[in-house]
Formats: sequence, C-alpha cells, structure tokens
Amino acid sequence: MKKIFALLLIFLITSTVTAQMKLGKEHSKLNISCQTCHTCEVPTKNDPCLVVCPREKMVTIYQKPEETPELIVIDQLKDRYGPVYFSHRLHAQMSEMSGGCGGCHHFNTTGPILNCNSCHETSRKRNDVSVPDLKGAYHRQCMDCHREWSHSTACNSCHLPIKEVKGTEKEQIAQRLKGRAHPVVLEPVKILYRTESDKGKLVTFYHDDHTKKFNLDCISCHKQESCSSCHDVNKKSSDSKTKVSDASKSKLSFEVQHKNCISCHKDDNCTRCHSDKELMPFDHQRSTGWTLKTYHAKLTCQNCHGSKIPFAKIDKNCISCHKDWDNETFNHAVTGLKLDELHSELGCDDCHADNNYAIKPACDNCHDDLSYPKDLPGKLIRK
Amino acid sequence: MNHEGLNPVPLKRKFFTPGVIVLCILALNAVVFLAIRFLFGLGAVTNLNDQYPWGLWIGVDVAAGVALAAGGFTTAALGHVMHREEYAAVIRPALLTAMLGYTFVAFGVFVDIGRWYYIWHPLIMWNGNSALFEVGICVIIYLAVLYIEFLPIITERFIGKVNLPGILSKLNKIVDKILRLLDRGLSKTMFIFIIAGVVLSTLHQSSLGTLMVIAGAKMHPLWQTPILPLLFLLSAIAVGFPMVIFESLIASRSLNLKPEMHILSKLGAMMAPLLGLYLAFKIGDMFIRETFVYLTEPNTASVMFTVEILFGVVIPLRMLLSQRVLRSPALLFTAATLVVAGVLLNRINNFIVAYTPPYAIESYFPAIGEISVTVGFVAMLVLLYRFFAIYFPIVSLPGKPATQAAKYTVKGVK
Amino acid sequence: MPGKSRRDFLKSSALIGAGITGLSSSSAKATPKNILSPDRMGVLVDTTVCVGCRNCEWACKDAHGLPAGDLESYENRKILEQKRRPDPSALTVINEYSPGKYSNLPVDVKVQCMHCDHPACVSACIVGAFTKEENGSVIWDTGKCIGCRYCMVACPFQIPTFEYDKAINPLITKCDFCFDRTKEGKLPACVDICPVEALTYGPRMELVMIARDRIRRNPDRYINHIFGEAEVGGTSWLYLASKDFNDLGFPELGKDPAPGVSESIQHGIFAYFVPPASLYALLGGMMWLSKRRKELEQEEKI
Repeated sequence: MKKIFALLLIFLITSTVTAQMKLGKEHSKLNISCQTCHTCEVPTKNDPCLVVCPREKMVTIYQKPEETPELIVIDQLKDRYGPVYFSHRLHAQMSEMSGGCGGCHHFNTTGPILNCNSCHETSRKRNDVSVPDLKGAYHRQCMDCHREWSHSTACNSCHLPIKEVKGTEKEQIAQRLKGRAHPVVLEPVKILYRTESDKGKLVTFYHDDHTKKFNLDCISCHKQESCSSCHDVNKKSSDSKTKVSDASKSKLSFEVQHKNCISCHKDDNCTRCHSDKELMPFDHQRSTGWTLKTYHAKLTCQNCHGSKIPFAKIDKNCISCHKDWDNETFNHAVTGLKLDELHSELGCDDCHADNNYAIKPACDNCHDDLSYPKDLPGKLIRK
Repeated sequence: MNHEGLNPVPLKRKFFTPGVIVLCILALNAVVFLAIRFLFGLGAVTNLNDQYPWGLWIGVDVAAGVALAAGGFTTAALGHVMHREEYAAVIRPALLTAMLGYTFVAFGVFVDIGRWYYIWHPLIMWNGNSALFEVGICVIIYLAVLYIEFLPIITERFIGKVNLPGILSKLNKIVDKILRLLDRGLSKTMFIFIIAGVVLSTLHQSSLGTLMVIAGAKMHPLWQTPILPLLFLLSAIAVGFPMVIFESLIASRSLNLKPEMHILSKLGAMMAPLLGLYLAFKIGDMFIRETFVYLTEPNTASVMFTVEILFGVVIPLRMLLSQRVLRSPALLFTAATLVVAGVLLNRINNFIVAYTPPYAIESYFPAIGEISVTVGFVAMLVLLYRFFAIYFPIVSLPGKPATQAAKYTVKGVK
Repeated sequence: MPGKSRRDFLKSSALIGAGITGLSSSSAKATPKNILSPDRMGVLVDTTVCVGCRNCEWACKDAHGLPAGDLESYENRKILEQKRRPDPSALTVINEYSPGKYSNLPVDVKVQCMHCDHPACVSACIVGAFTKEENGSVIWDTGKCIGCRYCMVACPFQIPTFEYDKAINPLITKCDFCFDRTKEGKLPACVDICPVEALTYGPRMELVMIARDRIRRNPDRYINHIFGEAEVGGTSWLYLASKDFNDLGFPELGKDPAPGVSESIQHGIFAYFVPPASLYALLGGMMWLSKRRKELEQEEKI
C-alpha cells in the first residue's frame, strides 16, 4: 500500500514538473518574476494559477499577422443570429496600427493564446459580474471599430442569418477571405497642423521624411489609431499630398498631442516645430551644417547614425565612422585631390594636425614658404 | 340669547336674471367639455402631458378652491370658537361658500384623476407618508363636516313646513319628526364638528403646501421652500376674511341688499395683521434662502412672483391700514379682491408657473377645455350659491329681530 | 346647566381622543412596503460601452407585451437625432449625445426608471400603490392606482408616464425592473439582450465597487462620477460616462432623498396625531372659555 502511495506521489511530482518544463521552454527564459503572472509557486499546465483579470502588469506575446489563423468561426452563442465568420488574419493585420494583438487578446500571458471563454463566461446570469460575459466581450471588441466607420449597429454586417451553414458555403466564405489584406495605406507628404500656440501657429510635419528618411515604422507613432481616421463615411477623403489638420479644436491634452513627437524630439525647443510660416523639409546641410556630397548623399541615415531612434549625433571626423582609414588604406583621390607620390607616403596627421579634418591642412611642418590652398600637395581631379 | 340684527331668512327674489343665464351657458359649456373628457380621456380636453401632469384643474379648481373656501373655517373659528357673536351674520354665507367650494374641489379632483371611479380608494388604501393622502382624507372628512354643519339650515328651512306632494304627503309628519330629532341631536353635538372643521382645515390647508415640496428642484426656488405648508396655512387664514368680504359685497350688490359694512369693516381691520404675518414669513423665507437673486432675472417666474407679492399682499396690506379704505365699500372691495386674486395667483404660481420639469419641450398653458371646465365650475358654484341664498335661510336681513338664532352655536355648550 | 354641558363636552372630547388614537395606531402601519435591502439588485450602465443598438428598447417592449415590431427595424439610427423620453408605448429609450473625452464616438444613454433607494413615488402615492421591493425594484399595483399623477409630480427623474388618451383604465407606466422576470430567476429583458453588456445586472453594492474599479483603471475613459451612487440618496441603476452627466440629459440632483423633506413635514404634523389632537383640545378649551365668559357677563347683567 505504502509503495503504491509512494509511486503515485512520484508520478504526481514528475508529471507536474514535466508539465511545467514543457511550457517553460520559451517563457522561463524571460527575465521577469513568476509572480507577475502566477499566484502559486508551481504553475502547471492544468492549473496555471494565473493572476485574475484585469492583469494590470502583464507581459503579452506578439505574433506576426501572417502567422495567425486566417479564419475563425464564432458560433458558441448562436441565438437570434447565426455564427460569425471572422477574418482573423485580416483583422490582425489591421490591428497593427491600433494596439496590435493585445487590443483583443488583452491580459493574455506569454503562455498559449487563451480562449475568450477561459475568462468570459458564456452565461450572462453569473456570480462574478466584474468581467463581461462572452457575448458582451465579443461585441465590445467588434462594435467599437465597426460602428466607428459604418455608423451602424446592424447585426447582419457580421452575423449570418440563423440557418444551417452547409460545408460548401463555409468553404466559399473561406475562399473569399483567403489572402485578403488591407490595401496599402497612402501616406501624405506633409501635414500642416494649425495650433493656438504662442510659439508659432503652424506646425509643419513632413510625414515622408519620418517614414522614408528616418525609416520610422508606422506603429512607432500610430499605436492606437482608430479605423475611423480613414474609414469614416461622414468624412471626405482627400488625395492631396498635403493634409491640413486643425489641432486647435482638439480636445486632447497638451501631453497627448505632443506624445508622439516628444518621444524623439525631447531635447528640442518649441520653435523646432512651431513657426508662423510653413517650414522646409529636412535638409542635412541646413539642420546639421554638414553637406552630404557624392558618397554620403547615397547613404541612408542609418548607415551613419545607426538604427536607434532618435539618431545619435556624430562628429565630423572621418575616422569617427571610417575607423579603418589610415594613410595606407585611404585613397586621398576621393576628396578630389590626388596626392603626388611624395606626399602619399606621409601619415594623415603630418598635414592634418591632430587628425582634425575640419581645419585647413598645415604645410609648415616641412615647408617654410608654402601654404594650402595656394600650393597643393598633388593634383585636383574632378570628383 | 340676543342676536341683534341677526335674521337669516330665504330671500324672496326671482332666480333667473340675465346674469344667471350667462352663468348657465358657461356651466353648460363646461358640461360639454366634461362629456368629452369622460368619453375620450384627459388627453382630449387638456394640455397635460408626461412633463406637466398637473395643470389648471389641480392648480385652480383644487388648490385655489381649497384656499378660497378658507372663509368657512376662519369665520367658524372667529364666531364659534372665540365666540364673537357680532360676526354671526357672516358665518352662514361663509359656511355656504365653504360647502360649495369644497364640493367643487371634490368635483375638480373627480374629473382630474384618470381613474375617477376609484376616487374612494384613499378611504381604504392608506399611505401616511403622502401629503396628497392627507389632503385627500382631510378634505373628504371636512366636506362631511361641512355638510353636517349645513344640516341645521336645512332643518330650519323645513321644520314645520314639510309638504311632500301627492301620495308622499302621508310621510309629512314622519319627515318632520326626523328633522326635529336631527336638529336636536345636531345642536347638542355641533361643537364637536365645528372644532373638527377648524382642525381639519388647518391640517389640509398646510398639507396642500407640502404637496409640492416633494417636487424638489423641479419647482422654481422662488416658491420651493420647506416652509411651504406654513405659507399655505398663513395665506389661507389671510384670505378667509377677504373672501367673506368679497362675496358679501358681491352678494349684497346682486341681491340688492345693504352692504353689512359694520361687520365687514371689522373683518377688514383683522386682515392687515394676518396679511402682515404672511408677508413677513414670505419675505423672511426669501432672505434666509437668498432667493431674491432670482428676481433680477427677467422671466415669467420673477414677474409672476413680483405681481403676486406686490398686488396680492403689499398693496392690499397698505390699503387695509387706512381707515378710509375700511369704511368705503368700494375700496374695501378692491382690497379684498386684490388679496383673493393674490392668493389665487399664488396657488397658480405654486402649482403651474413654478413647476418647471426637466425635459419639457414647451411650457404648459391650459387648453380651452380646461379653462372652460374651470370657468364652468365657478359659474355652477355661483348659481348654487344664489339658489341657496334665495331658498334657504342664509343671508341675514338687518334690522329685524331674531326669529331663530343659529342654534348650533348656542345649544351645545349652554 | 353649565355643569351638565361641561360633562358632555369632556365626554365627547374623550371619545374623539380615543378615536384619533385608534386611527393613529393603524395609520402608523398604513404606509406602503418600502424595503431597503442590503442585497438589493441594480444595473450598472456603462455609457462608454453602449453602442446605441436599441435592442433593449425592443426587448423591453417584447417583455411587457407592448407592440415591438421587427428587431431589425431598430437598426435605423435616424430616430436618435431627437431626444426622446419613455412613454406608455416605450418604457425605456436610448438617446444619443455628442462624443465624450475618450473617443470620437457618440455617447448613447439608456433612459428608464432609476429605481431609487428612497423613491419619491412610493412616498407620494396617495393610495400607497407604489412599493420598493426587496430586490430593489420600484413597482406599483395598477389595481390601486386612481390616476392622480402625483407620482409624476414627485419623481425627480420625471419617469412615470400616463395614458392620457384612454378614457377608461388609463394607467401609469414606467420601467418595473422586469419584476416578473426576475421573480422567475431571469434577467431583466434589456440586460439579457444587450450585445455589449453595457448593462451589468448584479447586487448594487457590488456594482458600486465594480464601477469605482473601472474609473480607477481607466481614468482617461471615465469622468470620476458614478451617477446614482449618491443622487437623491442613491438609485438602483448606476451610470458611468465619459462626460458630464448634465450634458447627457441627467438632471442635476443633490444627495438628499427626494421624499426626505416632505416626509419629515408630514410626520411632524402628524406625529402620532399629537399635534392635531392638541390643536383640537386647545380649540375646545378656547371655545369653552369664551362661552363661559359670555355667560358670566350675561349673568352679571341680569
């Protein structure tokens, strides 16, 4: 008898541990406290003892839309209406600019993606009413966007009529949704914001500078975009490259209005963006005093400034970037001056004192009566 | 027992005069609208709606009706409780007004409530928290008391003169006996009813004010105050004598009698302190609650309030302080009319003007049907008053010795 | 002679006194059922969640045997352009207001009886037809109603409505919190149908906690005010919103129960019939004294 108990105990322990191990592969590597998500010491697959919703401190997972299921049939609550064929992948893609997966899969842990009904009860008459029931939860997710751009609450825009859906029909719907994607969003070149600021009534925002030159992702600014900012049947769409936005009528707070800009422009003063006239697009020469010529003009910002946003400031010393340059590896002809044989033997700092290339090179180390640029150590060539 | 000059007798007058015919037409007009109301519902004749559930009928027929019938209890208190016999001559007319007034208040309620056939419900279904229940019960009991108080006038008219037609004439003796029995019983117990009448009046006159307290912020702050019951009671007491004067002077004019100025002047002199007391509480309340700020806003409420106070209280108060006014029938009549109109306006203001419910799209104004019924009721009341004054011993003719004293004032406590 | 009449008087007064006391003891109980149970139920209306689909309007009519029409016809949002009030044909309605602070979506507000904790209608009703039940509903007995419409005057939310067009049996109507459904263990019809569960049915105490929690977690979404938590002493129905309640068609109300002042006046005047009885005694005394004085004066004359 005792043996059986012992065996049983061992079995229990091992099974719990293995269950825990299996799951733990990915997320046990995470550098967070277990207590963030779990309430007990040893969470298992069967009893993950997750903290109750709303999980205010939460680590959520992210999946690329392409990796998610294309179609999900929601038919648990068939009542007055038939099931909903939900184009999950399309919505996942669209959600990227409006909160991502977490918008719907809120409070989901790093573990498996939970079914909605693991938290949301299917019955409306229940003891704990602090969390909406399943019907409420589903509709809340859908209706906010759907009524925002259609201004309608019509049930049949999602629900099929209440009748048996045959296999072929299901396939047809699946076929129709296959590969559907949100059309490419046309982006404006610049947006003019009219403001009430006394630092300048106009903010000129060059959208394409930020996306193309600075290579910002859409979601670095468009984190919680609502569909209706484009899809509003009451709004007239404009094809113009320049959009004008009246920010002075906005109800948003100062902080919220500046949130997206300030995350990079935190060291800039107001007049960097606010002016009484329209500002020019970004120009490397005008903004930094460093003209990008032949070679540098071909580069992307990231080539020199790295991929971290905001970009790091770098100095004008060539070897700050070109660390491998010395008198042997550097072809002086790229500067437009081909050194004669005599000078090409010299080290860089023989002429460029302290490796400072911003000041004119000194000839007086060797020559008493020569000076740059009157006398040249080689031949000027066309670049 | 010597009531000098007290001699209530049936007046020998023709009932129909041109004025009476006009009143009959007005009454018939009301009957037409009442028929529509009972056949097609309240919506067919009134401008009442879900925002304005109460209108002219409650404001004037009921609330103002009760207030203007206050002469009944104030004169009863003066004549019987304080035993000031010099006022005995006005007691019967005031009693008649009160009886008719309350009868029409009951009619007013009857036509205004949606399920009129359940008007008896409050008698057995009680809600002690409800001001309306108290008003209802008190009015019902008081109405009964008024009828009892009026009974001796009936018995006095018929004792010894019972003359039933045809076959019923055999009953003449029995009826006469019953009347005599009734008369004797009543004269012994009448004081109970007289005091009960005064107590009941005090209760429901004040509770009528409590009615609108529960409407809270829906009532304009110029009128909404926790002392509304006190103001209603004080104004009812203040309007009692003016109403007696008003009626007495109209009646003496229309029935071609000499105005009883020796009584009316004394009543008039008593009005000033009562009005003053009412005004003091009204103004005091206004200053304590600092509602005078609303008077600076030019709107219906501020205008109506000013008119009510100025013409209904302040001007008649000033007039009544002058001896000249008290001695002149015309001026006394003007002052009394102003007070009566002031109290009427006060009740209209409290129940209609001050009531500004949320969500109302347009404010309430009574429909033709409502006005017709109210005017018709007043016409019927006047007609009935005339009828009783002509055929029953109500009005005292001066100068003749008393034949039959008002027994109920005397016998019970002798 | 005076002695006899005095005895008469005292006897009658005693009789009346006894009558009044008898009356008062029965009248003390003669108030309608007005239970304020700690377990009373309520509904939390989250106007930031409501999508204005008007399904609740349909369900309410359906549950109360009123002509309801097709559910699909309620998708027509044209009707939301005007502000409506409940009436005998619709005990609840949805009104739409301009967006609040958190979203650019319009705010939809369901209107129905608030089911006050201290209902003015229960206090006001002349025949005591209204009652506040243990489960929080304020309901009324149609059989008692005389159609005086005092409940409509008293209600701080202007909720009871009346069938003015009926000559026979016109009724007072309002939301009854689906008393018949909840008695059977069902949910109120509007709560049951709401697709987004903007209406949460539960014990009122719990709903207040849930509402506070929602405000705490989403301070950007809600204004810091639970309408109905304190208004007129508290209501069973509670509201959350993203903008000031005065801009959403709610009346501005204090925290005192609507029937508070009038009931204390009533009870002051009627405190166990002592004030009226004493007034009666006082007047009786005065009458007797004035009478006696008169008689003495006359005796002197003789």
